[in-house]
Amino acid sequence: MNTILICRDCDTVYRAVPLRRGDVALCRRCNAVLARYLGVNVDSALALVCAAAIFFAIANLTPILSIEVAGMQTRANVWFAVRSLQEGWISFAALGLAFTTFLIPAVQIALLFWVLLFARAGHRAPGFGPIMRLLHQMRPWSMTEVFLLGALVAIVKLAKWVPINAGPGIWAIAALTAVLALLGRCDPASWWSIGPEANT
Amino acid sequence: MTPLTQAFDLGLSRCRTCGLAVARASLGIGGRCPRCQSRIEQRKPFSAEVTLAWLIAGMVLYIPANLLPVMHTSGLLGEADSTILGGILEFWRAGDWDIALLIFIASVAVPFTKFIAIGLLLFTVRKNSRWEQHQRAVLYRIVEFIGYWSMLDVIVVALTSALMQFQVLGAAEPRAGIAFFCAVVVVTMLSALSFDPRSIWDRRP
Repeated sequence: MNTILICRDCDTVYRAVPLRRGDVALCRRCNAVLARYLGVNVDSALALVCAAAIFFAIANLTPILSIEVAGMQTRANVWFAVRSLQEGWISFAALGLAFTTFLIPAVQIALLFWVLLFARAGHRAPGFGPIMRLLHQMRPWSMTEVFLLGALVAIVKLAKWVPINAGPGIWAIAALTAVLALLGRCDPASWWSIGPEANT
Repeated sequence: MTPLTQAFDLGLSRCRTCGLAVARASLGIGGRCPRCQSRIEQRKPFSAEVTLAWLIAGMVLYIPANLLPVMHTSGLLGEADSTILGGILEFWRAGDWDIALLIFIASVAVPFTKFIAIGLLLFTVRKNSRWEQHQRAVLYRIVEFIGYWSMLDVIVVALTSALMQFQVLGAAEPRAGIAFFCAVVVVTMLSALSFDPRSIWDRRP
């Protein structure tokens, strides 16, 4: 192996060495992560993406929280939360919330599925380059874990006043957070070593 | 141990998207990464200026985000507007110090840490300082990591408004402050993303 690695954070140049299971290569100057041993192979990554898609569907089709007062019931999930912010120009916040907790995670899951499905067959998916760029740019803006914490705070906050119940959605959001965190550990940069782009 | 060399001095650049090391000599003007077609830049262009612009925007937006109410509640106990700090105080007085602390960290401590940390990074880079380079590299990674947790209050207000829809018995609606707060999160994240951490180590003549 004679590949060159450059530190993301301080521009220091290294010659790459093969990593063993559990190894993480750190920059000698600034301690940033240079490379990780890939514990997640394409097969398990694809399985994780499928799990993420299922959890995402459950989280959005079932209530995350619900309240019952005097025979009236209200329920909430990600989409209800977005809709409740749609009011005049406050809708800016609705847009922010829709992107970070709904749209971006959904697109991430879909694109990862697409890329990994082809990767499994040893091909680069059609549109591989632009997709990888998009995945890279979306990464900081995916906020599922913050939504989970927000839902927990809302439970504690409202439980004083009204009987509030957690629905199946909250477990789905928790599982989705865990699965996305695991997927975040796999290093998309390594997928560039997969063969040429498939012709479709 | 071999001495550390910067890619810049070897005529190499790192592709921001796919991490490939590219020889600058092999690129034309406006050159793109041979692997992923991203634009290759030696450093993020106008990094300090763009970071500062977003930082100032974030600090300005933080003022209405705190002064304006974020939520309006109505019900049998009357009507009230609550601000972020008001909400924290309410939890604190009610004895829920843990929730008060959590919201304080997400809505006050995190934004302030970001303002101070990014300001400090920009100042020291401008001074071409060699002071505590390791600590500043860590500081940048902390800013990157904590960035989006400030979205917490936006989510809590949205969920509360979605759930409290019992007209006279109790209802909650979002107010303008929450939109400003959401803007603060977005703008400070853009500020952190615009900063080039390599400038901490660069030696300008």
